[in-house]
Amino acid sequence: MQENSVLIVDDEPIVRESIRDWLKDAGYQVATAETGEEALEMIEKQDFSVMVLDIRLPGQTGITVLKEVKAQRPWIKSIIITAYPSAETTAEATRLGAIDYLIKPVAPDDLERLIQETLDSVGREPTVTTEVEIRPKPPVVEVVEVKKSLVITKDSLRFMVESLAKEMEVVGVKSRHGKYVYDRISSFEELCLDYDVTVMPPTKYLLPARETLLKFKAGDESKIEPVTDASPRAIVGIHPYDIKAIELLDEVFMTSNPDPNYIARRQNTIIIGVDCLNPSPKSFAPSMGTHLTETGFDLLLTDIGADYVITVGSEKGAELLTKCAQVREPTGDEIAKQKEVRDEALTKYKLSLEVPRERLPKLLEDSYDDPYWESRSSSCLSCGSCVMVCPTCFCFDVKDEVALNLKAGERLRQWDGCVLVDFAKVATGENFRHDKASRFRHRIYRKGKYILERYGKFGCVGCGRCATACLADNASLLEAFNAIAESARIKEAAMRIIKEVRPETELYAPRPAELVKIKELTPGEKVFEFRLKDGKALGHWPGQFVEVSVMGIGEAPISISSSPTIDGTFQLAIRNVGDVTNALHNLEKGATVGIRGPFGNGFPLEALEGKDVLFIAGGIGLFPLRSLIQYTLDHRSSYGRAILLFGARSPAERLFLDELAAWSQSPDIEFHETVDRGDETWQGNVGVITTLIPKVQIDPGKTIAVVVGPPIMYRFVIGELKKRDIPDENIILSLERRMKCGVGKCGHCQINGVYVCQEGPVFTLAQLRNLREAV
Amino acid sequence: MKPKVAFFDFTGCEGCQLDALNLEGEELIDLLNAVDIVNFREVKTEREDNYDIAFIEGSISRESEISRLQKIRDQAKVIVALGTCACIGGINCLKNHLPMEEALRIVYGEDAKNYDTIPARPADAVVPVDYYVRGCPPITAELIKVIKALLLGKKPDIPNYPVCVECKMAGNVCVFERGMTCLGPVVRAGCNAICVTSGRHCWGCRGLVDDPNIDSEKDILQKYGLTVEQVVEKFKIYNTYAEVTK
Repeated sequence: MQENSVLIVDDEPIVRESIRDWLKDAGYQVATAETGEEALEMIEKQDFSVMVLDIRLPGQTGITVLKEVKAQRPWIKSIIITAYPSAETTAEATRLGAIDYLIKPVAPDDLERLIQETLDSVGREPTVTTEVEIRPKPPVVEVVEVKKSLVITKDSLRFMVESLAKEMEVVGVKSRHGKYVYDRISSFEELCLDYDVTVMPPTKYLLPARETLLKFKAGDESKIEPVTDASPRAIVGIHPYDIKAIELLDEVFMTSNPDPNYIARRQNTIIIGVDCLNPSPKSFAPSMGTHLTETGFDLLLTDIGADYVITVGSEKGAELLTKCAQVREPTGDEIAKQKEVRDEALTKYKLSLEVPRERLPKLLEDSYDDPYWESRSSSCLSCGSCVMVCPTCFCFDVKDEVALNLKAGERLRQWDGCVLVDFAKVATGENFRHDKASRFRHRIYRKGKYILERYGKFGCVGCGRCATACLADNASLLEAFNAIAESARIKEAAMRIIKEVRPETELYAPRPAELVKIKELTPGEKVFEFRLKDGKALGHWPGQFVEVSVMGIGEAPISISSSPTIDGTFQLAIRNVGDVTNALHNLEKGATVGIRGPFGNGFPLEALEGKDVLFIAGGIGLFPLRSLIQYTLDHRSSYGRAILLFGARSPAERLFLDELAAWSQSPDIEFHETVDRGDETWQGNVGVITTLIPKVQIDPGKTIAVVVGPPIMYRFVIGELKKRDIPDENIILSLERRMKCGVGKCGHCQINGVYVCQEGPVFTLAQLRNLREAV
Repeated sequence: MKPKVAFFDFTGCEGCQLDALNLEGEELIDLLNAVDIVNFREVKTEREDNYDIAFIEGSISRESEISRLQKIRDQAKVIVALGTCACIGGINCLKNHLPMEEALRIVYGEDAKNYDTIPARPADAVVPVDYYVRGCPPITAELIKVIKALLLGKKPDIPNYPVCVECKMAGNVCVFERGMTCLGPVVRAGCNAICVTSGRHCWGCRGLVDDPNIDSEKDILQKYGLTVEQVVEKFKIYNTYAEVTK
């Protein structure tokens, strides 16, 4: 018999293998058995000095094994381990010769010391032990509850992390080039729990830099499949400010339009936080109220010296502790120590906001035209570093990648950021935030105002990463907030139970639609008629839009040109300006496209009832407006006068000629038309569209004007309507923006704090008066 | 009908063409199923003067190259500049800082009289160029991306943001925080920050973004200890032609 040979008998692989690994590392000869039967067989063949024995085993119990061992191999010293201690089994095991008793989870140090003591005692003690004393243990917590603070030893923490690593990917903070990064942890030694701040935040594990949303096949066997990743993962050592950032992302991705990809990751992520006791010199977390957190984690550690206080934040955290860790109630001293280390950490922050954070939104609202934005942004590189390192940034772009066979491919989403040059650029070439200063200002408004107003939580957690990453030294939000300086109350968002949110799995997956009719309007514009292949109606309101996909090319927002009063099909009038519209123009009857939506608010039909409606369409503004005109004429008796003013640049660019002709003859609608430049064929009005307005009789008390046209047209038309005393509430406009996702997440369509795809595209002029980026 | 593709080399090391061959076996077969390669000096000796897509490699540094490139422009439906020299002039343009006679003498010594040379320039300084596959060497995946976009009839999706974006996505610790300096903040991404990820810094081989904030980048390089001359040298390597060094 080898003097240091140990047999471990336990049916739980995690326990068996981890004890085996510790003991091997400590120099013991170790064998393992899963069942009582297997253990007895091994004992038949080979002798052991010590047996570590679980009581509850499938088949023969630990007690039976003990009886057999006592009868046949009385010299083997048995140590009992169990998760279910009871007085009866303790007494029974002791009677059968067990020399000690440990309660699971077992701390490696305790077990090793016990084995060593047992081995040392061999030969010095009489072989028959009469009375065995059970060693005193710290009070072990058996029922772990949410919100409870407990104490865990560093060894037990190691055991818990290593146990987790056997079941899932464990990521945590490591040192790299003198900085700290989140990465996969292969051993507990690599894990750093006393870092200041990481280069990139841990949110990359919930919203990765690049991920696949859909896999598709184009062509005859076309197929679209949403893709999500639900691999389990534990993140160990997240600071409270980053936990607060994750709570914001939960708000963004798990409330309206629940995001399937985010939710799959979130529901399979265990968050083990750690209090930040050595803050980064750029951090101002206390000013943002994020230096401590009571929510958002499964477990949270506080380093109190010898051990950690561990706070349970969720059922998941409680289960994990029950399964893999030995914890005990904290002493009064330990609770006092936790407060002491937290208070001491608070004194280490060097930076702070000079106004209460509640005042920031109002302060920003009043500073829109401050020269600060222009002057401070002059050195901005538009390099995106500030948004890439930000834990609360979540804007993204979506693009298709296809294989060389051009058939199969993937639709990917990738981080994007509002400070990057092309973020708000649309296919026509218009860039709605083209200058550095407006992008610079927009980012700071998101962080201090827009996100708060939209989601109830600040878009800045005060981590200071942007200030560290910015080479031009101008991205610091703290500096921006302090440089301007006001108020609004933060609404307290209700706590949400993450596991109960149901993702909308088809959120990004277009529905197939068949192209049933094509009609050319001008050489660059066609009207397409589609029917959804699932046989359902599109279910839209006039003024809404859809996202149209040509798989492999991409997706584009297109307003709906037909009234919902048409059964079964819908029409999209499209100018050929970008990749997707070009691909659509090349399609033939019978082709399949993808449709998502309808999205957006549409025209306010109820508000129009009983009123005189003045339609003003400039150029392809007629495309969306046509849906409302058709709808109004189909419900003619519900409205007062219907007046349509239409302007095209030239006679050749007039649209829907048949309908224009019909309207000009119809008693249901008063129709006036003009072209900017006439030619020899043109007999009608010449001049820009505003020249038509003085020709129309208007009752300002009962007229609602619905205006759709290119951005440049709005300012002039509004001016002309104001001359006719139409109030701002009765001037309705539909705005174009870069609506990439349609579901209020990607950020591209934002006008100040408003998402055009959600609150728009239709606005009253009264609403737009507060949106400085709008017109 | 598969589009016919031709590769033409001008002044350069022909590394871009070599790199284009650096495809996995399966990818190469897929590529050959998608296009007909009719002209490719590094691969085949047969030549054909009928092609749709011409890849131009190297910069233009002799009078004779101007007329040769113009002929290619007349023939090809699409011209793609392949690699740094063709896209932005590249390191060949370093000689533009010298009088041409002196450049000839340094390179050819007594034989200089047998050669002619003009200041080096990118392909689009001579003829209109439709698309660009940037980099020294170009990223093979980007070459394939451009070919796929041409086949699909869409604009290739080449980033117009700086290397910093991809560098952060890669999780790198900033070069400036590691005691070095870098051109990443003004240089066009698309390389996944490969040099920084491999422990170096960005040299600017993909050229500048559309609207680079050169003044701010110069200030930063000086703040991190470079002299004005060193800053200029840093830009010169690949970006002499972009005039940022003036």
